Amino acid sequence: MGGADWTAVLRELFRVLVFPGFAFLLLLALAGEWLDRKAYARYQHRMGPPWFQPAADLIKLLAKEDLVPRLASRAVFTFLPVLALAAVACAYVYLPVAGGRAVYAFPGDLLVVAYLLTLPAILFFLAGWFSGSPYGAVGGVRAATQLLGYEVPLLLAVLAPAVVAGSWSISEVSRTLAGRPELLPLQVIGLVVALLALQGKLERVPFDIPEAETEVVAGTFTEYSGGRLALFRLAIGAELVVGLTLISNLYLGGHAAWGPVPGLVVYLFKLAVLVLILAAVRAAAARLRIEQMVTFCWRVLVPAALLQLFVVVALRGWWLL
Amino acid sequence: MGLWQRLVRWARVKSPWILHFNSGACNACDIEVLAALCPRFDVERLGMLLKGSPRHADVLVCTGPVTRQVARRLRRIYAQIPAPRFVLAVGTCAASGGVFRGCYNVLGGVDEAIPVDMYVPGCPPRPDAIIHGAAQLLAALARSGESAAGQPYAGTARGAAGGGATAPGGRAPAGDGQPAGDSEGRVAP
Repeated sequence: MGGADWTAVLRELFRVLVFPGFAFLLLLALAGEWLDRKAYARYQHRMGPPWFQPAADLIKLLAKEDLVPRLASRAVFTFLPVLALAAVACAYVYLPVAGGRAVYAFPGDLLVVAYLLTLPAILFFLAGWFSGSPYGAVGGVRAATQLLGYEVPLLLAVLAPAVVAGSWSISEVSRTLAGRPELLPLQVIGLVVALLALQGKLERVPFDIPEAETEVVAGTFTEYSGGRLALFRLAIGAELVVGLTLISNLYLGGHAAWGPVPGLVVYLFKLAVLVLILAAVRAAAARLRIEQMVTFCWRVLVPAALLQLFVVVALRGWWLL
Repeated sequence: MGLWQRLVRWARVKSPWILHFNSGACNACDIEVLAALCPRFDVERLGMLLKGSPRHADVLVCTGPVTRQVARRLRRIYAQIPAPRFVLAVGTCAASGGVFRGCYNVLGGVDEAIPVDMYVPGCPPRPDAIIHGAAQLLAALARSGESAAGQPYAGTARGAAGGGATAPGGRAPAGDGQPAGDSEGRVAP
């Protein structure tokens, strides 16, 4: 092997592991959690946590005693948080980040990302189920029930931009829509549906039914402590970033540079705006019951997503696209 | 002290997650604790979050005298909190048993059942007093890096489950058939 090969390998590793890959994602996950909590506090006329709060929480949890209940399966209990973080981090390399370029792209990566983003919810179910606690089991079953609610509207909503761009590749969709910004207002319904479905996927208020602390202690995560809990929290923070990056690519025209503004700034700006919107939803709403949540998803979000799809298909079939 | 230990101590001081437990209080202290958690006082500035599960908590905020009925549960909740853990006793009753001291059904203050790191007097204490007590607890933690409380519980939660037998005036925390009560039945990694 020549020297040039090694440089290429190192550059590839850097892009996967550091920027815009894993390390960058973890940094964004912490920053995203802080912005979310700070915005939530400001909406309640509070000061909110200082900027280092998520990092302090993470370090504290890593240094705390890490318990495994006797009734829990030790291997599964340890494996699940790692797998959740890994699935989310894998999804991130297929998303165009700064400058509108993904680390990897192939036709059909949209479906792979949708699949990888479904994994954490299933892992949450397993985590609750195998933790040997009735609260964990109830939380896990709720997480799985909720999955049936938000997953279909999210997939339908993600379908519309793909139809507009005529491609299953996120990079391709993002590039096409960035080139034709006049198409973006046509997808407002899809954007709203996707944001609400993501709120459900992340188990945030009003869809925090699996973790409802007044009913099931901490639901899925009741028995998790220390480092394993830290990994789960990190996975949820990273899922927030990955989900919003996906939405920003599909509905907000990607992250190419705006004239003199570099792509990284555009990306962070769009991400921050979306986090503020999700925090506003969290601050404005109260928790639904599980059947209200599933009913809302199937009676409101699914028809809205189908309407969006119909609009896009009709426009594409007749005259506009 | 190495860099990692300093970082950990800093993180512990900056991120105390609390668990609220009523060991037999008349509810006055509990209402004040909840008031202290409201947006008006905004304890999230100090990194405090109220947690539902003992597994997530660092500081056990305990109100009221310890009744004989609840003492075993209190010890078990305490044992379920992963080490290092700290106890804040809120109110006169939590400090000494208060007006209930000497009752046939009352063990006494919280320190009769589990070690206490900081006491907040008052009947009930104001929310700002409770926050001040928590801040004092964190300041002590920042100085020493350790729990100020007694030895039997200073080790891991596994050690603590057995250590309950040595606590004054109480029986060993044997399992009593509570649904979530597998606190004795776990392994530290």
